[in-house]
Amino acid sequence: MNMVSLDKKKFGSFILELSAEHAVYAPGKAGGKTEFIPVESEDEIDLKTLVTDLSPKGVFFPHSEVLYEYDKEGIRVPQKEAGKPIAVWGMRGCDARSLLMLNKVFGSAIQMPDNKNFQDPYWKEKYDNSVIFGTGCNEPLSTCFCNWFEAGPHSSAGMDVFVVDAGNSFLLEPVTDKGRAVLDKLSCFTDSTEEDKTTAAELASEALDGMAEPMEVNGLGEMLNNKYDEPVWDQISAKCINCGACTFSCPTCHCYDIQDEGKGSSGKRIRIWDSCMFPIFTMEASGHNPRALSSQRVRQRVMHKYSYFPEKYGEFLCTGCGRCVTVCPVNLDIREVLKTINEYKKQGITNG
Amino acid sequence: MNTTDNLRKTIKTLISEKKVDLFLGWEKGSLPLSATPLFVTTGEQAERAIFDVTCGNNLSIYFTKDKKQYANKKVGIAVKGCDARSVVLNILEKQIKREDVVIVGVPCNGVLDKKKVLAATEGREVLELVDNGDTVTVKGKGFELSLNRQEILSSSCLACIYPDAQEYDFFMGEARGEVPNEERVKEIIDFQNLPDSDRWEQTRAEYQKCIRCYACRNVCPSCYCNVCFVDQNDPKWIGSTCEYTDSVIFHVIRNLHVAGRCVECGACERACPMDINLLMMNRKVAMEVKDRFGDVAGLDINGKPAMSDFKEDEKQKFIMG
Amino acid sequence: MSEWQPRILAILCNWCSYAGADLAGVSRMQYPPSIRVVRVPCSGRVDPLFILKSLQSGFDGVLVSGCHPGDCHYISGNYVARRKFAVLKPLLEFIGVEPGRVQFSWISAGEGDRFAKVVTRITEDVRELGPATRLVKKL
Repeated sequence: MNMVSLDKKKFGSFILELSAEHAVYAPGKAGGKTEFIPVESEDEIDLKTLVTDLSPKGVFFPHSEVLYEYDKEGIRVPQKEAGKPIAVWGMRGCDARSLLMLNKVFGSAIQMPDNKNFQDPYWKEKYDNSVIFGTGCNEPLSTCFCNWFEAGPHSSAGMDVFVVDAGNSFLLEPVTDKGRAVLDKLSCFTDSTEEDKTTAAELASEALDGMAEPMEVNGLGEMLNNKYDEPVWDQISAKCINCGACTFSCPTCHCYDIQDEGKGSSGKRIRIWDSCMFPIFTMEASGHNPRALSSQRVRQRVMHKYSYFPEKYGEFLCTGCGRCVTVCPVNLDIREVLKTINEYKKQGITNG
Repeated sequence: MNTTDNLRKTIKTLISEKKVDLFLGWEKGSLPLSATPLFVTTGEQAERAIFDVTCGNNLSIYFTKDKKQYANKKVGIAVKGCDARSVVLNILEKQIKREDVVIVGVPCNGVLDKKKVLAATEGREVLELVDNGDTVTVKGKGFELSLNRQEILSSSCLACIYPDAQEYDFFMGEARGEVPNEERVKEIIDFQNLPDSDRWEQTRAEYQKCIRCYACRNVCPSCYCNVCFVDQNDPKWIGSTCEYTDSVIFHVIRNLHVAGRCVECGACERACPMDINLLMMNRKVAMEVKDRFGDVAGLDINGKPAMSDFKEDEKQKFIMG
Repeated sequence: MSEWQPRILAILCNWCSYAGADLAGVSRMQYPPSIRVVRVPCSGRVDPLFILKSLQSGFDGVLVSGCHPGDCHYISGNYVARRKFAVLKPLLEFIGVEPGRVQFSWISAGEGDRFAKVVTRITEDVRELGPATRLVKKL
């Protein structure tokens, strides 16, 4: 099956048809903010918003997830109700790529001391069965910087079906076999024309042209490593207030804390998003905190994204979605941060 | 001379005459809707300082960040009315010394709330903003709107009574004086008149949105405990999940911790990534503090924060007879 | 079936209210078996967090009691506590917690009868409200 066309008037019936066998998530309003919510009909879906306020990582890696419950009888992993596989509609290129990165952490086999391979079952259960419908961005925002990272507004990496919004219709193109199989089962499409293909290509190049000039990120990790001990970090972090808004809205931040909540003889163990911005994140039982200062924590966040993660997994832990830029209460712009560090000592600039 | 020019000149003088080692101000941010904190140590940097409708940050948070980072330094700070009250509180609470701070008041007509601007543009991205005083012009791809300033002001500014710094060394322009603001209590009274079940449902719905990023706490100039009670884990007082009772308790206790110390600068509400109506509780507490103890946070540099003070003959009708 | 008994946490100061409760006991005064007592050095020790935490853990009501104004063993502990409660109580009511659930009183070491009365009253108030649901965390 090649590219197919979906008339926007038929979008409602497409969603209905998709929900028959899938739990459908799409951008929608929750408490005034946009995030990926479970939807049942077209009306709940926000097709306008480009970058949702909260990233779709929560669909696969929720803010708080019960790992197991315990009581005197023993421990139980909570059973999901007869699980329909997840289908996500409207994920943007940045977010779809973030899932690939998270999958490297949660989904790839890690060799344990007992020589068994470990994969995170909570992630895999949701992610492996999911089908991602990703949408290309025709008018990227000024905060978008996906073009820094070998991707662009019409990148289809991490998606199963790539969707182009062509005005009156959506053009759907299967990217993976899984995507092809799902499309094959659905009926509300018409075949695409040559014209559709040209439109899609035009929209893609227009979108890319509309974005600001990217920063050169080759060798970024090495550059950061070299400047690890420089006082530039104090200068950068001076305004950071160390809240977790950036990490919680980030589609790729995946650090978590595990806590027990119990009462009497029963309780549960919960995995909860954590943030390297919090002092308690690295607080040791002795009372010593290796990252007690704001500058150390800001450095950690930047180093993890642009140096440590690429060293280990071969790509940056940043998709350029720009959420941290938008959400930061003190406007500490990650793009400026990288540029400042890059410029530091390059041309003898010492304060900025 | 406008405020920004005046401010730049003052900062330059302060720096060149070595009256301050560091000056905290605002500069144009990377986004049109938000200014960003500026740390001035040279006359050159002073040229970047601005003051306009986007300067929402309460800079006095930096006095207490990373404990005592500015100890033994003379620090200058640009303040709106609310920020000045925060500085006064920091002085009263012995976080900084009055003689170490140079307070520079700016005439404030309120700062914007990003979500109100986005509501006005119907979600379209703003690429440029011009502050014209009574109106604010926003431009984006294919549109240009002139917005009434009142329409986009932060809710804290709409309820503001003291727009001018009450304690200052220099003032950059003309003071507006006290703004009689009867409207400020209307929202509170309206809410209070609802039956308790409705009030609870609304509280619950509001705080259910909380993702516990603690942006509200971290931008708050009055929240500077070494270890916040939510971060304590021996005992672990409240859970860290998005469960609503935990979130409600977090916000209620935070409110009580800043009772009589909250200057209602609205930084928390503007910082909240989930748009929670945080100030409502703060304002209710401030009302109670004023009615019962006659105190307004940070107005009187010779006073005492309300909750660390008492009088023997206070109203105590709420105590069981 | 036996009638529902509210469970109320009573946080009592060591010097007055706890002794008052003791007096009520040794004087064999009758009051409902609804309270569980926690003794604190002074009403000034009572952090509002204790009260909220009790409600969250499932108590139907909370009573905090200290020495009468002027009688505090630590001179001013109860004055400071009074300011805290004066703000806490309206705030809790504001967010929709029923007014009867959280109450405060002053009971001296000699007021055993008053202690019995206060406990009877808060028990009646809470009984009328029924089991707590708001702010209760379901695990």
